[in-house]
Amino acid sequence: MPVATQASLKGLTPEQLEETSCRLCLNNTYHLGLKPGQEVLAAVGGAHKLQGWNYNLLTDSGGFQMVSLLKLANITEEGVRFLSPHDGTPMLLTPEHSISLQNTIGSDIMMQLDDVLVTTSPDAVRMREAMERSVRWLDRCIAAHKNPSTQNLFCIIQGGLDLDMRRECCKEMVARDTPGIAIGGLSGGEAKADYCKVVVTCTELLPELKPRYVMGIGYPEDLVVSVALGADMFDCVWPTRTARFGNAITKYGVLNLRNAKYANDFGPIEDGCGCNCCHKDGMGITRAFVHHNTAKETVAAHLLTMHNVWYQLDLMRQVREAIIADRYPAFLRQFFANLYPDQANYPKWAVDALRGVGVDLYEDI
Amino acid sequence: MAESSSDNNVMFNVLKTIAVEGGVPRAGRLSLPKRKPIDTPNYIGLSSRGAIPHMTPDVISKHVELNGSYMALEDYGAGKDALHAYTATPEPLAIVLGARRHPAVVAPMGNGKDYVSIYTSTGFQKLKNSEFYRAIERLQPDIAIPLADLTFGNAHIRTKLPNQKRQLRMVERTEDWLSELIKLRNADNESETTASKPSLFAPLLPVAYPTQWEYINRLSQDYVQHLSGLAVYDADILPDLMNHEFVDLLPRLSMDFITSPQEILRQVRLGIDVFTVTFLNAASDAGIALTFSFPPPPGTADINPLGIDMWSQDHQVSLKPLADGCECYACTKHHRAYLQHLLNAKEMLGWTLLQIHNHHILNEFFKGIRATVIAEPSTFERDCDAFFNTYESVLPKGTGERPRARGYHFKTEGGQSSRINPPAWEKFGEGGTEDSTLAGEIAGLAVTGATAEGGETPLVPDDGTDAKELDRKGFAEIDK
Repeated sequence: MPVATQASLKGLTPEQLEETSCRLCLNNTYHLGLKPGQEVLAAVGGAHKLQGWNYNLLTDSGGFQMVSLLKLANITEEGVRFLSPHDGTPMLLTPEHSISLQNTIGSDIMMQLDDVLVTTSPDAVRMREAMERSVRWLDRCIAAHKNPSTQNLFCIIQGGLDLDMRRECCKEMVARDTPGIAIGGLSGGEAKADYCKVVVTCTELLPELKPRYVMGIGYPEDLVVSVALGADMFDCVWPTRTARFGNAITKYGVLNLRNAKYANDFGPIEDGCGCNCCHKDGMGITRAFVHHNTAKETVAAHLLTMHNVWYQLDLMRQVREAIIADRYPAFLRQFFANLYPDQANYPKWAVDALRGVGVDLYEDI
Repeated sequence: MAESSSDNNVMFNVLKTIAVEGGVPRAGRLSLPKRKPIDTPNYIGLSSRGAIPHMTPDVISKHVELNGSYMALEDYGAGKDALHAYTATPEPLAIVLGARRHPAVVAPMGNGKDYVSIYTSTGFQKLKNSEFYRAIERLQPDIAIPLADLTFGNAHIRTKLPNQKRQLRMVERTEDWLSELIKLRNADNESETTASKPSLFAPLLPVAYPTQWEYINRLSQDYVQHLSGLAVYDADILPDLMNHEFVDLLPRLSMDFITSPQEILRQVRLGIDVFTVTFLNAASDAGIALTFSFPPPPGTADINPLGIDMWSQDHQVSLKPLADGCECYACTKHHRAYLQHLLNAKEMLGWTLLQIHNHHILNEFFKGIRATVIAEPSTFERDCDAFFNTYESVLPKGTGERPRARGYHFKTEGGQSSRINPPAWEKFGEGGTEDSTLAGEIAGLAVTGATAEGGETPLVPDDGTDAKELDRKGFAEIDK
């Protein structure tokens, strides 16, 4: 899922986003709560109407932003206290307030407010407190949720890298029977091997018929491995952010189009790509043109954003097709072979994690 | 019905000319090989580095009825491909290539005997006439404007002319360069087919008629068969050209500074066919949604603004279109509340939607002009009067920040020291908003060292930006 933090996917019109085949994108409760604010959202009639997006929206609760963006955030049982980044006035975000905002936003999937801690935190006591508090906050979120028939509230499993704590959290969260389940607190600088262990530990305990959403994941390798470990949904700002820095995601790796060697490269961003920039009846965008305008005209950022979002969604489409056709292990082998011409360079974490679920990357394709 | 007689494939038909006091407004059709015919009076977009700012080619194809795009050679290095393919400009659009951006940054060292100074992404460079010739052969624009020895940077060219001696030199050099360019072309023509040669629009200079009459005579006697049109740097020269018959046959492209729709009407009266509209990109950057139409809506007693400041808090919950009754993509799919939010959140889509809307408004404006010229009897004069009575004479100022400006966006006035090392970290609005030069900047006139007046906000970092990120993304490229 691409991330349209402030109700706009970085320069693309909703129509262009639709053309990337996106049908579910993210908004951020924290950002929309500050701009344009709850009153405006209520008056306009929700975020779908605000941004002219007729497909699905998922809103993050704002818990993660409290930690990542605000240095002065202070988390208590009541909620998150922080100073407004605009005028410095003290503010309090409670589970009730987050849910009220998300009800106003009208997102199709809303997330509980959770107590997020960096996974690498060595403080096991605080980690346990955060995990248990997230469970209590889920109860408060469920109680505050006004539209359970039209909006789906997902719980978020916490517990850092402590697998026992994760298991305990899974048990508590699953008992509350939310329509979907997220694995949170990851993508915070932990080792990839640890990340995989947490994902596989959680997915083993989760019910089959509920979507499993791993938050903040977006590198192509992470996506395909996490799917093998049993996860269903992902979001990340990386594809769109890296586009603005001139990086194009392709199946052979990420191309930095600012590199001088692309100045006279009149080929498409990626051969055989089906996005509006690359495909044969599309715009006919060349690498040279993107190189020419990266970080100079916003148009180059828009074009690469389109390409990257299309790439990510197309990757997930191929993943789905491979799973349905019962050839996902072969797909994974081909995927890594494309990225790493030399098998010796395969990332160890991916090889090990996949071996753990019975896929050997070194087998013949 | 008159038809041009040049050695290339450009066809220009004058469909109708009407006689009004002080000018000869006309409606016509400009046909370029492989491109969509352009009904005139009309306008072409001003591109920056080959892109119409904020609009990707698919947006232009789908949502904007654009006829062409002006591009500047100084935006490209050497060795590039043909411009249409390189810039992914949609096929129906014509590309007009000139040496310098419009408006251009003043080069501190000026032009020389056989070169003009251009401002590339790596600094000021000399562009020789022969290099320009090779560039247009390689880049294959539909129309090329031969080099003119212009002194850029005067806020309004016709009020600030260089001294008489400089003016004469301007005319001499421009004529020499044109003559050399045509020689080079002819030499090449003997060996190759002429079918795909870019058409030439000869520059008419921003000096008084008596100063350049010899040059104009040479155009009509010696060069006319090589010319497909005229690039007019000061539209007020046109009434003086009444007795030059060749001028009637050629389409006239205005490279003058257009600061308001009223100025467009005035130049249509003078007989301009195709415009480059400098206030258009500038209005979008300033957060202004244009709201004028031609003829003006009947029954309005009050003086109406030409545009609306979309930064205003008034629009926060307004579900109205940007302009009432507008049928553009931005107005039919979105509303003022979203625009206000996008600008306020500094989301790039805000400027994209404003560009879509403002190009639509301008396109409708020209449609209206053509209809009133063609109508029998023509209602052009009457509707012009009504327009002048209905609308304010200047565009509103935007109140918010502009998109990030890069070095080549800076537009300077010669001799002002503020251009070098401008106060890059000053916030917009702190220097006092009642600045007389600001109005000109908003209109795209680009009068000053830009930053001092805050006409364009050079990289004002917001709270969430850290130094590393700025470093990675690159700072504004301001040449010393």
